Amino acid sequence: MPSRTETPSSSPGDPQPESLTFALTERQLDERASVVAVEGELDLTTAPRLKWILLDALQAGHSQLVLDLSRCSFMDSTALGVLVGVNRGLDAGARLAIACTRPNVLKIFELSGMDGAFALFATVDQALAYTRGRTAQVGG
Amino acid sequence: MTAGAPAAETAGPAGAAGAAGPPNTRARAVAPARSCLPSRRTLIGVPTALVLVSVSLAAFAPSGQASSPPGAPPKPGKAGSGQAGAPLAPGPAPARPQRGAEAEASTGSSSTGAPSTSGSGAAAATPNTPAEGSGASANQISGGGQAATSPQEPAAKSSPGRVRREKAKRTSPKGEVKTKAQEGQSPPASGSTGTGPVSAPATNAASTSVGSTTTASGTAHPQTPAAPISTQPEPVVGAHSPQAAGRPGHARHGSGAAPRSLAGHAALGGANASAALGPLAALATAPVGEGAPAAGSAPASRRPAGSPRTRPTATRQSPLVTTFTRIVDVVPTPVRVVLIALLVLALGLAVRAWMAALRARRLEQQRAQLLEDVGLLQAALLPQAPARLGPVRTSVAYRPADGPAAGGDFYDVFALDDGGLAVIVGDISGHGREALPHTALVRYTLRAYLEAGLSPRASLQTAGAVLERQLGGSFATVLAATYRPGERRLVYACAGHPPPVILGSLPLAAVTACSAPPLGAGMRTGTRQTVVALPGRSQVCFHTDGVTEARIGAELFGAARLQRTLAEVGPGASATALLDGVAEQVDARPDDMAACLLSIEGGSQAPAALVEELELDRHSAPSERTGRFLRACGVGTREAAEVMLAAQAAARRAGTVVLTLRLGRGAPEVELRQDTVTLLRAARLSDPDNTTDRTEARA
Repeated sequence: MPSRTETPSSSPGDPQPESLTFALTERQLDERASVVAVEGELDLTTAPRLKWILLDALQAGHSQLVLDLSRCSFMDSTALGVLVGVNRGLDAGARLAIACTRPNVLKIFELSGMDGAFALFATVDQALAYTRGRTAQVGG
Repeated sequence: MTAGAPAAETAGPAGAAGAAGPPNTRARAVAPARSCLPSRRTLIGVPTALVLVSVSLAAFAPSGQASSPPGAPPKPGKAGSGQAGAPLAPGPAPARPQRGAEAEASTGSSSTGAPSTSGSGAAAATPNTPAEGSGASANQISGGGQAATSPQEPAAKSSPGRVRREKAKRTSPKGEVKTKAQEGQSPPASGSTGTGPVSAPATNAASTSVGSTTTASGTAHPQTPAAPISTQPEPVVGAHSPQAAGRPGHARHGSGAAPRSLAGHAALGGANASAALGPLAALATAPVGEGAPAAGSAPASRRPAGSPRTRPTATRQSPLVTTFTRIVDVVPTPVRVVLIALLVLALGLAVRAWMAALRARRLEQQRAQLLEDVGLLQAALLPQAPARLGPVRTSVAYRPADGPAAGGDFYDVFALDDGGLAVIVGDISGHGREALPHTALVRYTLRAYLEAGLSPRASLQTAGAVLERQLGGSFATVLAATYRPGERRLVYACAGHPPPVILGSLPLAAVTACSAPPLGAGMRTGTRQTVVALPGRSQVCFHTDGVTEARIGAELFGAARLQRTLAEVGPGASATALLDGVAEQVDARPDDMAACLLSIEGGSQAPAALVEELELDRHSAPSERTGRFLRACGVGTREAAEVMLAAQAAARRAGTVVLTLRLGRGAPEVELRQDTVTLLRAARLSDPDNTTDRTEARA
């Protein structure tokens, strides 16, 4: 399972506060499926990196894209804008699903009214299943 | 003569140096007794340029000239000898004496014994008059002279010593100079400015010590500039005129007056001329000195008196220049070179500084202009709110972010025709310059719809449909609200924007489920609206997410803290005070903060109420999302399913249906009503539930 890390994250035992840690990790499951995991905060400075890693994955032919936000602590409007832009730019047949369980991040989706715009799932597996067209959206 | 010599000696180094100068030069100096008074002509403010030029010339002067043995004791006999006022041509060319030098040497009658020797001559040189006059000064036997150039004759006359000078002038044509001795003055030591305040005291001192009464003053009238000076290096000789010789009582002291050179004024006093003039004098006298023996013998070797070539020019210099030149005179050549280099450097730096100052002033003006423009733009984007609209006191505030996020927030508060007021608060997803045009676009668009009478929800829905293309990919979170004092009802609708924080008698918290998406996100918006009735005193704070997303450590500031802060600042506080309170608590403000505060006075016209509205179409009516909204409003699961089915049925008929829930203490009242926002030109926006729709279609 090939994977690449866009930004080295802190080691597991690192006492560094969560807000100071940010990492983007992409796992390429196969030729079409890829999971991008976000750790830390998505804000004005880190959102552009998310944008490029997602666009690169799509460019590379990974049409089944899962964004794992289970370790994402915060997301601001800039990151929402990135997700909206990527979601709207999907080619026919490509799918983006988001796996997120954190209440505060889900609240951000809700408050911004974007919870209806994305396919939100509780787990990465559910999200992957959605991107492969096997299950209908759970969230929404 | 004896008297004169001591005087010269007492004059100090300057006098000594002057004595060492070529004696044959004739300088006639008359230092009037009254010259101790400051002359009006004293050039206190001799232009700095003059000083600089003097310095320059001094520095360029051949070292040999400068090195005229200072300190050579003046011989009594020589002391009396006139010195030529050499003009200044920097170089070897001594000034060509021009006539008009009027030398008047008057030996004081009281001078002891040898008036002739001690007498100092005063030479007044008028450049324009040819050398004829020089003859007069040549006659003088001894000149402890001073030469002063007076740029302006009238001025010269006005000085106390002028009487003699005038006399000298009169006599000059004749080639005869009379030296009048005046008591208490022995000018030899006094340097170039006979009338100058500085030199005058010196002369007095000298005279008192020596007891000599000789005065010498010279004036040169440089009506013609430097021209006279020096094309010819002819030594001016202080020749003794026969007449002078024959009249001991009126010993004539030859004194050469230095013409005024380019460098300015050169004044030569008999013995101390060179000292007084410094480099200039040295220049002038050097050539002369070479060929001329001691002053005492000068008369014999010199040209006959009355020689047209002698042309003493009296130079008058300010004390400043005098002092300066004295100092310069003893400076070694290398140091002069260094000084010159420093001078050039200083000039260069001065020019640079001047240009920099000009540039700075220009930039400052441009900056002021820009700030003014920015202020106008800022005012256009962030308008001033009216302080009060009916019973509502309003205030707005804006604080830019710590970092680069400035520019996306906007707000507006304005009165409506029906007596209500409207509020717009929003944030463009982009930041900086790209966001600016969009902020204006969204704000004015929404304002137009609200002023046209549309409800906040309808305004947002219409704007969302219209602005989708114009926003060009960026989106705007925005809140539109109206408040009607008569009904005490606040109506607001959010599009991806946080709801207001309300402090007052509101019994329940607003529901955030099924919030409408932002403008420009490619989805149908303007689907939610909240109506709040506020009976008592209350405060409503509309804000942007920069406020709630400010950080305290790793935490967000949050709406709860904002509500606490709102309570802390009190009901009379302004939005600025509120944001200040927020800023004090947070550690970082990564985004702009904007706040609009409504302070509503108490009343009891309407009971507290909270109504939530959700627009549904046939696709969105039965959905998990709608179910969440109903549950958040307190509707039970089974009732929620029934409501969704009814809504779907209604939406099939009318296109859309508005689900209205009146929240209270008991179960919410649910109402379905048709309130379709009609667009003249409907935009094809994807439905909020399009994803579900698509999924369903595939399934």
